[in-house]
Amino acid sequence: MTEIINTCSEAISLARELEKGSAEFYKNLAERTADNKDLFLSFAEENEKYVKQIERAYYGVISDALEGCFAFSLNPEDHSLETGLAENATFAEAIQCAMKIEEKIIEFYNVAAEQSKSLMADVPRAFRLVVKKRNKRQSTLRSLAGDKNYT
Amino acid sequence: MAILEEPIKEVLELENYIDGEWVKSESKEVLDVVNPATQKVLARVPMSTGEEVNRAIESAAEAFPEWRRTTPLARVRCLFRLKELLEDNFEELSRVQTVEHGKTIDESRGETRRGIEMVEVGTGIPSLMMGKNLEDIATSIDEFLIYQPLGVFTHIAPFNFPFMVPLWFSPFALATGNTFVVKPSPRDPISQLKLAEFIDEAGFPPGVYNLVHGHSDAAQVLMTHPDVKGVTFVGSTAVGKEIFKTCGTHLKRSIVQTSAKNCLVVFPDANQDATIPALMTSFFGNTGQRCLSGANLVIVGDDDSFYRNFRDAFLDATTKIRVGYGLDESIQMGPMQSPDGIERVNRYIEIGIKEGAKLVLDGRKPTIIGDYPDTCFINASVFDEVTPDMTIAKEEIFGPVANIIRTRDLDETINMMNKSNFGNAASIFTSNGKLARNFRYNVECGNIGVNIGIVAPMAFFPFSGMKDSFYGVLHGQGGDAVRFFTESKVVVERWF
Repeated sequence: MTEIINTCSEAISLARELEKGSAEFYKNLAERTADNKDLFLSFAEENEKYVKQIERAYYGVISDALEGCFAFSLNPEDHSLETGLAENATFAEAIQCAMKIEEKIIEFYNVAAEQSKSLMADVPRAFRLVVKKRNKRQSTLRSLAGDKNYT
Repeated sequence: MAILEEPIKEVLELENYIDGEWVKSESKEVLDVVNPATQKVLARVPMSTGEEVNRAIESAAEAFPEWRRTTPLARVRCLFRLKELLEDNFEELSRVQTVEHGKTIDESRGETRRGIEMVEVGTGIPSLMMGKNLEDIATSIDEFLIYQPLGVFTHIAPFNFPFMVPLWFSPFALATGNTFVVKPSPRDPISQLKLAEFIDEAGFPPGVYNLVHGHSDAAQVLMTHPDVKGVTFVGSTAVGKEIFKTCGTHLKRSIVQTSAKNCLVVFPDANQDATIPALMTSFFGNTGQRCLSGANLVIVGDDDSFYRNFRDAFLDATTKIRVGYGLDESIQMGPMQSPDGIERVNRYIEIGIKEGAKLVLDGRKPTIIGDYPDTCFINASVFDEVTPDMTIAKEEIFGPVANIIRTRDLDETINMMNKSNFGNAASIFTSNGKLARNFRYNVECGNIGVNIGIVAPMAFFPFSGMKDSFYGVLHGQGGDAVRFFTESKVVVERWF
C-alpha cells in the first residue's frame, strides 16, 4: 500500500524526483534529436533551476511553528511519471510523452500549491511559478507536435 | 520512504570553547549523548569543573572592554558572516538536531530557520540600539539617552530546542557589545557546539563567545559569578523559580522563561479543515516537548453534534500520525528526547485515568515506523471528558497528550483559563472577529493566537509569557532583548 505524503520534506523530495525524472527524459530525447537537442537540454537545465527555486522557498519559510509535518495529503501514485521512451518511438510519440509528463507535473504542483496554502505564501507561490513556466513549455511542445518537419 | 543520511559518523568527544580555543575538560564526569530514536551514542559530554566555568566567564569579562569599543557595524559584520555560515550548513545543523533531540527533519529545519532569523534581527543593532535626545530641556541644556552594554551574560539552555533557544539571546547580547557564555543542555549539546564552531569561523574575537558543558553545578557558577551581569534561562517553572531567586540574591538581571499549560479553544464556526492540522502541530509537534504546545483542547458550545464530530476528526487525525525516526522524511512525530520523558507522560496518564478522565486514545504502547528500539518512543494520547480541576488539565505534561475539555461559552472558557498558574500561550479558532477580540483582550497569556496552532513570536517581537510561565521584566528576542542587554545612561549637557 502506498503511503500518503503528509510532510513538507517528503513533498519537496517528490517535487525533486519528478523534476529529475523529467530532466532525464529530456536529456535522453536530446540525444535522439539533433535538430532540437539544445531545446531539450535547456528543459533539463530549467528543471534543475525549478528544484532550486522550490528548495529555496521551502528552506526560507519552514518553521517549527507551521504545519510542516501535516501540510500535505499527496498520493505519490497519482503523480508518478512515465519517462521511459521506446527505442523505436517516433518524434511525435516522444513529444506526446513529454506533454503527458508536463501535464502530470503541472497537476502535481497545482495540488501541492493548494494543499500548502498554510505554509505562508512562498511555497505555493514557488509551485505556481513553476506551473506558469511549464505552461510555456507545453506551448512549445505543442508547436513541435504540430510541425511536420520534425516527424 | 527516504531515510536521510546521519550527520554524525563517529562518537564525538565534546570540548569547551573558551577564549577562542577548544579546550578539553579535566572533569572525570562524562555523560553519553544518545540518539533517542536509535539509542546509538553520538557523543560524550564532560560536566565541566567550577574552575573551567570560571575560566569561561573570566575570558568573557576580559574580552568585554575591547568588544564594547568595536563599532556596532563591525560587530554585526561578524553576525552577517555567521548567518552565511549557518545558511551554508543549514541541512547539517538540522540533521544534528534530529539525531540528538529526536524531532522530525521538518521540525529541525524549522528550528534552524528560526534560529537564523534571530541572527538576522541582531544584525539590525546599529539602528535598534540607537538612543534618543532632546535639545533645550532647559535653556541651552540638552539631554541624551544612551544604551550601553553591561558585560558578561550567560545562558542556561533547555533540551527541547537545542539550536534555537540560545539564539533567542546570544545574537542580541553580542550585537549590543556584551560577551556571552552558554551552557547547552547535557542531553543534546552538539547543536550548540556546531554553532560555536561557526561563531569561531565568523571571526568573533576570542572570549566574546564561550561555551561550557555541564549540569546544575555549572549553572550555579553562571548565575553567581561576580563578573556576570545577567542570566537567561529557559526551562521548567520549578527550576526557573530557583534561578530567578538566585539571580535576585546575587543582583543579576534575568530573563527566566518557564513552563506552560496552553489552551487551544475551538468554536463551532472554526474552519475545521484548516484547524485540525494546526492542532496536530500544536499538540504533537516536537513530541509535545515545548512551552508553546497545545495541552488542553477546549471545545466550546452546547452543540453536541459539533462536539462529537470535531472530537472524532481530532482523534482520527491523531491516530494517523506516523511515529518514527525523524530522519525518515515521512515521519510526523519523533521520539521523546529521553526515557525520563516517557516516564513522566505515563505517570500523568495514570493520574488522568485515576481522576476520572476518559482515555480515548492510549499511546503508551507505541507503533513505530521502522525497526527502532522503543526506549524513547510513545504515540499520541488523548483524554476526553477532562475537567479543569483535574491534575492533567493543570500541570505541564510536556509530552504528546491532549486533554479535551468542554465549556459552554467564551466567558466560562476565559474564566477557566485565567485560573491557571501558567500564562504562556493560548489560541482561539473561530471565524468570529468579536469573539477573537474578546479572547485576545481578556486571556492572561503572553502569546495569543487567533487560528494559530503554535503561537511563536517572530525574532523581532519579544517571546512573551506571564504568571508562572515567565519571571522577569523584559523578554527574549526583539526590542525587549535589546533593552535587556543594555543599560540606559542619561546625559544632561550644558556648555558655558
